[in-house]
Amino acid sequence: MKTPAHLRQWDYALTVVTVALLGTLGLQSFIGTAYVWWAESVIPGWQISGYPDFMLVMNVIAAPQVIALVIVMGLCVPKRLFDRTALVIVSAAMLGAGVAAWAWTGDAQTGLAVFLALSALIQVAVVALTVAGVRGPSYLTEGRLVKTGSGLLHLGFIAFAYVVVALQDSVFMLPAFWIATFFTIAGTLMAFYADKLAFKKTVRVEVDRSFEAV
Amino acid sequence: MNPAATRTEFAAIIDTLAAFGTPLQVLMPVGAAILLALALVPAWQRYLGPAVTGTTILLLLGYALLAWFHWRVWELAVVVSPETGAISGRVAVPLWIESVKLYVWALTVALMAVCIKRHRAELLPGVSVILSILIAGAAVWGKPFTEPLPRFLNQYFGYLAAMDSGNFMIAMNAYQGMEGARQFYYNTIYMWIHPPALFFAYGTFAISFVATVLMIMRRHSSYETTAYRWARLGYLPLTAGMLLGFPWAIIAWQGESWWWSGKVNMSIMLWVLYTAHLHARLYLRRQGMWRWVAALSILSFLVLLLTYLATYFVPGAHSVV
Repeated sequence: MKTPAHLRQWDYALTVVTVALLGTLGLQSFIGTAYVWWAESVIPGWQISGYPDFMLVMNVIAAPQVIALVIVMGLCVPKRLFDRTALVIVSAAMLGAGVAAWAWTGDAQTGLAVFLALSALIQVAVVALTVAGVRGPSYLTEGRLVKTGSGLLHLGFIAFAYVVVALQDSVFMLPAFWIATFFTIAGTLMAFYADKLAFKKTVRVEVDRSFEAV
Repeated sequence: MNPAATRTEFAAIIDTLAAFGTPLQVLMPVGAAILLALALVPAWQRYLGPAVTGTTILLLLGYALLAWFHWRVWELAVVVSPETGAISGRVAVPLWIESVKLYVWALTVALMAVCIKRHRAELLPGVSVILSILIAGAAVWGKPFTEPLPRFLNQYFGYLAAMDSGNFMIAMNAYQGMEGARQFYYNTIYMWIHPPALFFAYGTFAISFVATVLMIMRRHSSYETTAYRWARLGYLPLTAGMLLGFPWAIIAWQGESWWWSGKVNMSIMLWVLYTAHLHARLYLRRQGMWRWVAALSILSFLVLLLTYLATYFVPGAHSVV
């Protein structure tokens, strides 16, 4: 089923936002590295005196970007599991639940964990519907294996973020980590190599063209 | 345990490694220079295929020698508790650390260069330039045959000296350091998966980078397809390798500040950039998008180089500064 033009525009906008968010995370990492380099060489004993504050600042800057990424994934990957308006409302509700948990406990980490847990639940539903072949979720890419792979690897990313945020000191850390890793790797494999993994092989015709025209 | 005898046996295997490896280590920069010349002079490029194959065979022979050395190290590097006299275990030094790092990266690129099929003739010159730099670097800075495993040997010889000192406290301190390194660094399963996965990814990204340069020069989508195929092959081990570093870091660096350390920052940056690149190419057919895709691919590879170098320049966990 071909995706209508106005939805493709929406997909494109979400992809641009994803790339931009990844870019800002990369920029933060680069600035962080430069700062560590500078601080270690200029401030004596910075590892002990300055590192905890540095980690705090980096976490505070990274958290909204990770939340935004997860929201974009929520809007992008399960496209039309709900319609666009419903999807935005669901995302806003998840964010609201996270903020409420933060306000209730006074702990930002708990708020983030609640948000990620809800996102993971939605993503599990998306993957299940995709595997079942329900026509609801539509994706940028075609083919059920590719779609399932895409859903799985995004679920893996959310699960890994949950492990980092909420389970670092838990006995469930390792099992949850392995599940997240499995989803990510299996999802990546399926998304990238669906044509080789599929039982029913399809021949994809590649059209080579010059970029001069575009 | 007889520390003096162990030291003598170590000296013997280091001498043997140097005796057989020195000619190869001298030959490596020469071979790199020949590869570079063949890559840069268009009339000589037809010899690149056999030259790359020959180089790969030489590197493989050298790696077999290094594997023998590491095997002998495993046999000799016994860690004994000064308290009980019981053997805690042997140190299995992986074949991709310290002096061998650049060598492994060069070997990976060489093996991949031999396997290139799509756009082979056009890719080989660029890949050979990268390969020659890596080989020269491995010989000049790595010195895997003449100065093997300096950090490990320094620590292990320190441990042997402490065991020989007759002072229980000194021996116990050295033992705890060596045993910690054995359990949480050298012998841990992560050490045998995390670095090789990343080196494999580095190899594929080097070829993807060359294909992207061709794409910019020739402005044709077929080179982008080649660049993408190599990038996706590397993205999987990059993701897996980075993920596997996480539980290892939690266990091995317990109590240490490692999250947001320089190397971790750079690795996150590397991963997000390649992720951005692979997302951006979904819209390659849009007007002007190929420029963004090319820019992201080039930037990602430059960050890869910085990530590798960060180990040597940026202090913190993961660092040798």
